[in-house]
Amino acid sequence: MTRRAFPVRLVAVVTVLGLVAGGGRLIAPLAVRAVIDDDLDLSTVDRVLPLAVVGVLVAGLASWALHRVVVTTIERALASVRRAGIEQVHALAPATREDLGHAGLVSRLGPDLDAVTTFVASGGVQLWGHLCQMVVAAVIMLVFCAPLTLGVVAIAALMVVALVRLQAVVARRFDEVRRAFSGVADEVGEMTAGIGLVHATASEDRVVARLAAASEATHAAQRRTLWPMHAGMALGEVAISTMTVLVVVGGTWWAAGPLDLSTGDVVALVFLVTFFVRPLQGAVQSFSEAQGALAGWRRATELLDVPLPAADRTVALPDGPLSVRLEQVDLAYGDAAPVVHGLSLEIAAGEHVALVGRTGSGKSTVARALTRQLDPVAGRLLLGGVDVAQVAPEGFTARVCVVGQDPFLFDTTVLANVLLGRPGADEADVRLVLERLSLLDWAESLPDGLQTRVGSRGESLAVGERQLVALARTALVDPDLLVLDEATSGVDPATEARLQSALAVVTRGRTTVTIAHRLAAARAADRVLVLADGRLVEDGPHPVLAAADGPYSRLFTVWSDDHLLERNPIP
Amino acid sequence: MAGGHVQVLGRGLATMARGAVDHPGPAVVATVAGVVNGLTMIVGAAVIGWATDSLVIPVLEGESVERALWWQIAGAILGVSAVRALTILLRGVATGRVQHAAQAADRRTLTNRVLGLDLDWYSRTPPGRVLDAVVGDVEARWLPMIMTFFALGMAVMLGVAGVVLTSVDPGLGLVVLALVAAVTLANVGQQITLLPRARAAQEARAELVSIAHESVDGAEVVRTHGLAAREVGRFGDAADDLRDKNRRVGAVAAVFDPLLDLLPGLALLAVVWVGARGVDAGRLSPGDVVEVAYLLLTVSIPLSVISRFLAMIPTSVAGTERLDRLGEGEPRRLGTGLHEGEGPAGWQLRGASLDRGGRTVLHDVDLDVRAGEVLAVVGATGSGKTALVDLLTGARPPSAGSARIDGHPVTELDPRTRVRTVATTAQRAHLVAGTVRENLRLGAAEGTTDDDLWAALALVDVDELVRSWPEGLDTPVGRRGSRLSGGQRQRLCLARALLSRPRALVLDDATSALDAVVEAAVLDQVAAAAADGVTLVLVGNRLGSIRRADRVALLRAGRLVDVDTHEALRERHPDYVAIVDAYAAVTP
Repeated sequence: MTRRAFPVRLVAVVTVLGLVAGGGRLIAPLAVRAVIDDDLDLSTVDRVLPLAVVGVLVAGLASWALHRVVVTTIERALASVRRAGIEQVHALAPATREDLGHAGLVSRLGPDLDAVTTFVASGGVQLWGHLCQMVVAAVIMLVFCAPLTLGVVAIAALMVVALVRLQAVVARRFDEVRRAFSGVADEVGEMTAGIGLVHATASEDRVVARLAAASEATHAAQRRTLWPMHAGMALGEVAISTMTVLVVVGGTWWAAGPLDLSTGDVVALVFLVTFFVRPLQGAVQSFSEAQGALAGWRRATELLDVPLPAADRTVALPDGPLSVRLEQVDLAYGDAAPVVHGLSLEIAAGEHVALVGRTGSGKSTVARALTRQLDPVAGRLLLGGVDVAQVAPEGFTARVCVVGQDPFLFDTTVLANVLLGRPGADEADVRLVLERLSLLDWAESLPDGLQTRVGSRGESLAVGERQLVALARTALVDPDLLVLDEATSGVDPATEARLQSALAVVTRGRTTVTIAHRLAAARAADRVLVLADGRLVEDGPHPVLAAADGPYSRLFTVWSDDHLLERNPIP
Repeated sequence: MAGGHVQVLGRGLATMARGAVDHPGPAVVATVAGVVNGLTMIVGAAVIGWATDSLVIPVLEGESVERALWWQIAGAILGVSAVRALTILLRGVATGRVQHAAQAADRRTLTNRVLGLDLDWYSRTPPGRVLDAVVGDVEARWLPMIMTFFALGMAVMLGVAGVVLTSVDPGLGLVVLALVAAVTLANVGQQITLLPRARAAQEARAELVSIAHESVDGAEVVRTHGLAAREVGRFGDAADDLRDKNRRVGAVAAVFDPLLDLLPGLALLAVVWVGARGVDAGRLSPGDVVEVAYLLLTVSIPLSVISRFLAMIPTSVAGTERLDRLGEGEPRRLGTGLHEGEGPAGWQLRGASLDRGGRTVLHDVDLDVRAGEVLAVVGATGSGKTALVDLLTGARPPSAGSARIDGHPVTELDPRTRVRTVATTAQRAHLVAGTVRENLRLGAAEGTTDDDLWAALALVDVDELVRSWPEGLDTPVGRRGSRLSGGQRQRLCLARALLSRPRALVLDDATSALDAVVEAAVLDQVAAAAADGVTLVLVGNRLGSIRRADRVALLRAGRLVDVDTHEALRERHPDYVAIVDAYAAVTP
């Protein structure tokens, strides 16, 4: 977020409105005092009271305007933090985003900032009016009797010092509350995402227990805010009564002596001090409640301060199909030991390569590196001869695409999901792509054709259908490096075979990396790279590797024994 | 309108009352503290009056007063204040306890209710909506609680003050009554205006959270397709909408807060204006006017507290409405059947159909799965295989016809019994955030030991890997298994299914992420386990499954076409041939 300059005009407007609105609360009582002091003389009454009514109405208008300005300013700020927040979420390095957690991110964009709205709507605006009223009351008191007023202000200052220390505790505890809420969000997310498993394993009790624990943690964190928060309010009351004693007893004690006050002065001071302490009471309360809002604000803005991937990336990828070159690349998740070690390999521009290997051999990790979900901890990764570390994130858009095993779809129609692939594309383009992939019949067989809604995360479709939508979406992008990571694992073989030959046509001339356990895909590739334990162990065309006595031929033998009828007929 | 308002107010107050009754301990403390606090306002005013009359005025007029009186007055002010401070503390803490306990109880009730809804509800409800309800709606509902006992104390104080004043002078009582009536009227106006706006704001907030949830979940797609600008636009629009809706809520407060603030002041000026004329005409004494003026100043505080409380009611009512609506869904019918059998279980499907999201995805299936057989289920993508799995495992009840296991409708079995009878692994290998052990023990048979866990891990050939992790079975798998590869996740899910020692096992494309070697080994192991008394249904179009099956069921466009041996199907159905021979066709 760009830090804006100090908003001088806004502060000026809010201060003036606050002083008029807050000070305006004093008008009626002061006017009434004045006319009573004048023994309710009618001419005074008729002179003062209409003016007072006008003053009260002006104060009311100022108060209205203050509300509007404060609420508008704060709501605008919230909206712009939210906008900046979502921008940040999508600019974060993927690993950082996963570390922050999905539920945590959603909480920061949503409920955490709602705490601010709730505070402002339920008393926050008054906080400013209260403070302004105190200033006005203090100034008037100062005119009556400076020494006593200074005493009152000194007590107030002492209280503020104590309160600030206490608020630091309250603030920390509210931070814990916000974190605990994020934990609740996490569990709710787990529940909604895993509901099928919960039903299938009858493990409702476990979910209930975990949700209850998260909720109870929130409850406990909230309870821990109560004592220090309300101790602050009680402290405010103690300060207020000390002020009252100072004015009533002290004022009377010194009146005849050093202060030289009249009866009227002391009575007026006793009267005035109540207009100083009442807003003080309100302010202390609002101040404590503000800690909850501030904690929410801090969490949301914390997100904006998370460092982004280095911004000095200015190099663009060269046009056309991209070659791939890995030089001694190590890949690791977080601080864990690398899962890919010193991997060097080269894929020519436009080449179709299959990446195969046993489960856990590091294929998907390499795929993640190619699509920049994971940055190498050592070595260099070059696309089109350019070190990817120097390329701006936008530079990969529409150039490098991955289709995974469990693709994400937005909760809208099939058509809208495919259209996301290319800005400005229309239904005709989508139909064309589907036709080229020989998927148009399938799409039209859906209940509402292309207008079929896919449901939340695409759950209304079968996994294989989601994969087909994602493939169509990517084909519409027409990227220069396409990574298919088990992208057709849920699709039936007949459709897959048709799709593979269609894809071969569509991706001709594009660099394609296919990861598949179904080795039919490897057979169709120009070259096969075999990984084992994060290292490249074989490299060559399918016929050569299949004939050699290496890991690939062993894999292929097992696979074809199981999956090729002509090789191993079912009796 | 006004009738509606009373109803809104009644519903809001009833919610607060229920919250108080549900948490009686802190509610009693808060009530007592609130009332005592209200009464200290009256006592405090009396003490100041006493101080003025017996100390300030005499001293300043040169009279001497007893030394003890100074201390008594200081002591009285501080004493009343100490009581006030104590009641503020106790009221605040106890109020918070009621509020937070009520929220916690609501979250519990809500999640339990949501957990009991059927899968259709989940597929049509955005996950962000549930999250927003559990956090946002619950908070909104209990918002007024924070002011409840404060307002209650003030109301009591107002009542006492009114009674005292009426007994002194009925006229004064009437003045208070008139002011209360005016303030109440203003509150009515505020609530009527506020409720629809509060509803709109909460709706906008839920929408915002839903979009945030989807956007964060789909962040990878957003990144690779360069959709960030679109997401910023979409979410930004939702944020702007929420901003506008919140401003509309704020606009109501902007009018009514100052109005309620000013009413007592204007009343004061009016009373003095009228009173001065009364004094002038000799009808009133100046003392009467001063008394009324002081009174109006005093009651303005409780009135403003009560107004603040009432202004929160529409937010609460809107929150309650949303919470009630969220629970509206088909509750999942939980069976109670305790039928426990021995040995492999068989299925009988008769005219079974399944609707999902309002459309029929499986039509009129008649199928007997024989106890102890291995059945492969084959069909093109979208032909209804997963729907069939849902019927076999009881994830969803048939919308027509029946799906029975050993003669008992699957969905009418008690959930624990059902898990012991039929286990399944879903197409999407889902792990819960927790350790490996926690994941394996989900639905595991009673008395399952760590040795059993290791044995199951060995069956799916992942034991060595788990052993290689420093924390072994206690290794956390990350959110939704994010720290593991697809194949590792899938194997843990398989091990989990085996550990419930079911009488029938349904594997829905459960080996799609496994390499050929592991897949063959796992299928062999599972088939061997099946030979010991488990009916096995292998869903998916893999020859590896078909090879190990006794019979094959072929689905086409949501209908069961045929059930027979591989050879028989191959002769009769070209689409079957297309599936099983697909890879051969592309052999170079």
